[in-house]
Amino acid sequence: MIAYTIRRLLMLIPVLFGISVFIFLIMKMIPGDVVSTMLGTEATDESRSQLEKQFGLNLPIYQQYYNWISGVLVGDFGVSLRTGKPVLGDILNRFTLTLELTLLSAFLSWIIAIPLGIIAAIKRNTSTDFGVRIISLLGVSVPNFALATLLLLILSVFFSYYPPSTYVSLVEDPVKNLQMMILPSIVLGTAMAGAVMRMTRSTVLEVLRQDFIRTIRAKGASERVVIFNHALKNAMIPILTIIGMQIGVLLGGTVIIEQIFSLPGLGQLVLTAINQRDYPVVQGAVLFIAFVFVMINLIVDLLYSYLDPRITYK
Amino acid sequence: MTKKIKIFSLLLLVVMVMAACSDNNASGDSDADSGSDSGGDSKAANQLLKIGNDQEPAGLDPHKVPAHSSIRIYEKVYDSLLTFDENMELQPELAKEWEQPDDTTYIFTLREGVTFHNGDKMTAEDVKYSYERILDEETASIAKSYFDKVESIEVMSPTKIKFNLSETYAPFLSYVASTNAAIVSEKVVEENGDLMQVAVGTGPFKFEEWKPDNYVELSKNEDYYKEGQPKLDGIRYITMKDESARLAAIRTGEVHLTTLSSQSIPLAEKNDKLDVKGYQSTEYSYVGFNVDKEPFDNKKVRQAISLAVNRQEVKDIVWKGDAILSGPIPESMGKWAIDVSEEELYQHDIEKAKQLLVEAGYEDGFETTISTASTYPDMIDTAQLLQQQFEKIGIKADIKQLEWGQYIDTWKSGDHEMLVGRNSSGSDPDRSISFFFSTDGSANVWGFSNDKIDSLSEKGRTTTDKEKRREIYNEAQKKLIETSPNLFLVSPKKFFIVRNNVENYTPSANEPENFNETIIKQ
Repeated sequence: MIAYTIRRLLMLIPVLFGISVFIFLIMKMIPGDVVSTMLGTEATDESRSQLEKQFGLNLPIYQQYYNWISGVLVGDFGVSLRTGKPVLGDILNRFTLTLELTLLSAFLSWIIAIPLGIIAAIKRNTSTDFGVRIISLLGVSVPNFALATLLLLILSVFFSYYPPSTYVSLVEDPVKNLQMMILPSIVLGTAMAGAVMRMTRSTVLEVLRQDFIRTIRAKGASERVVIFNHALKNAMIPILTIIGMQIGVLLGGTVIIEQIFSLPGLGQLVLTAINQRDYPVVQGAVLFIAFVFVMINLIVDLLYSYLDPRITYK
Repeated sequence: MTKKIKIFSLLLLVVMVMAACSDNNASGDSDADSGSDSGGDSKAANQLLKIGNDQEPAGLDPHKVPAHSSIRIYEKVYDSLLTFDENMELQPELAKEWEQPDDTTYIFTLREGVTFHNGDKMTAEDVKYSYERILDEETASIAKSYFDKVESIEVMSPTKIKFNLSETYAPFLSYVASTNAAIVSEKVVEENGDLMQVAVGTGPFKFEEWKPDNYVELSKNEDYYKEGQPKLDGIRYITMKDESARLAAIRTGEVHLTTLSSQSIPLAEKNDKLDVKGYQSTEYSYVGFNVDKEPFDNKKVRQAISLAVNRQEVKDIVWKGDAILSGPIPESMGKWAIDVSEEELYQHDIEKAKQLLVEAGYEDGFETTISTASTYPDMIDTAQLLQQQFEKIGIKADIKQLEWGQYIDTWKSGDHEMLVGRNSSGSDPDRSISFFFSTDGSANVWGFSNDKIDSLSEKGRTTTDKEKRREIYNEAQKKLIETSPNLFLVSPKKFFIVRNNVENYTPSANEPENFNETIIKQ
């Protein structure tokens, strides 16, 4: 297991290297540069070349990449061309919000999805099952932004409510923080819940049909024991896979939801940076997101062996 | 173990539900209208004006950043030597008076007792430093070209400063009044490296905090040189890029003031707690031609297109009627603008347009591309409307919607055929004319060169007599309309949506957001 983990971690190196080259080139290839977007129609040739020199954009492209990546290797992600602040600090700052939002959404989705999915599986083809399936279909198919806009509209028009718009961290003011985070978490959680609910229902159904369940029932185990101790545990692997992927995606920042609710998360950081062509921020943030995504995948893989001892890694 | 998890989950759920439900009214109408703030800083909360900003500011350096989302913030923090009144006439600001002993010398006498927000006294040395910073190539200031004619700056006394120009330069004082010629403190620049993240000026509001992608907060400058101003305790610019969020926030009173697109304004008008306040902007929308490329190198083609454009439709459809016809200098520039309604090329005349195309050798019309910025819905609407109007004279135009950075690139590189955009006329006619249309103008991306325009620009710059200058620019405007390197369409009105408990606030072209007298009624 340890050897496997180390091997997986070593594989991170080529993956992240590939991503770093890819994102660097993509940023260079998109039309418009930081100087143009900064100076807009006020640019003169003089001011342009001065800024290019300041930002090191006049160097050959391989030199620019080398300068950037050699910094990254020692933990220096460079500074934002716009704000002059260290990129890594900004990323980590924003990541705390995104992490909180992800965990809250995931938590909300699980407490809705897993019990409902199990109920639907047990009461297969009853009205309860159909109800759950409709809810889950809605969760999967209603787009985030539509649900968010609708929620804000209904709350503002009928209840004159708008969540606090100035962000405070959980440590500073937990109540206000949760007031801010609850609506976006509900929106994100609903979409996640739909998918998890469907997956839970189908895998629990599948497990319930297997021989060992019949054996356990024959031994006289209560239905509660059958479901929770045996069926659910065996059904967890596909559910965990889908949860892992969703968390990975959410941790990359949820651009639209963060924008609608004015949350300064990782998604906003990347979006603003792309619009402003703030190369070090985009590159650093994408690299960071890729790292998080790969790590989540690793953790999920390792959890498989915990859930199913037959799975061993060598 | 599982029991613990269950209990913890249950507790967390209860806390979340309580948090969501408790204090619901804090952002509700009654409380929000009194300016209450759930942020905890209750001391300064009563007169805290909250503004929904549609874009994140791009930095706070007044010498470097031209983005509107930044200007609206830093113009409250900094002052310039002069300013404009609502008739676009120069008024004293940090300089209480100024004189011009000869054509190339300007002497400013500074107001006494003005301090920066860090407590330092503002002196002539700071003025000298600020202008030298603008002129320094390293700064890459957007205002550098305004002051290229400044040869030397002499501090005569702590309150007197002299500018020597290399030649007569009539727009000089207008540029001195620009927000981009703000007076900054050398000490602050040295302490911070630059002014992108900090702002220490002499203006009515002090910079407090910038939480990126969330908000910028300003607080009242107790030592502002204008006695009794500002009345507000502070201003908070909250970044709300999503229009539906801004609409919901202004409806509930979470913000006191915001902007909406013209499509959403009727929704705000229906709400009796909201006022819609408009003002005539100094911007105009235009169609720009690349006159280096066929067929736009032919003046008759450009004139034909001008006749094919129905400006009334642009006004009614794109701007819902809230715009006025505009020439190269829009009407809000007061005495500098000319009445364009009677201009021959402004009359919608399809037959005459077709005839001009025939004369130019394009009787079957031609195909072309209109490039515009996808960031601004009004530009896309204008391009789509023009596309239909051009069809009537046989011109088939494709629309290319470009993301802002790409648009600027296309604009700058001259890699376009027709461009639909919006320009700001600035505060001096020199900018409206020579910046965009003289052969060496830095924003002449049209490949346009006309001896008459060049000589009029030069004359306008070196004539200090106001009346004579006006005549020069009148002639230049007529010449530009006749040669049509750009078609000037309409100058839109701009709107702020304001909660009706915000008093003493009237937007105007020279200063859309002057909150010095504004109060929030309890």
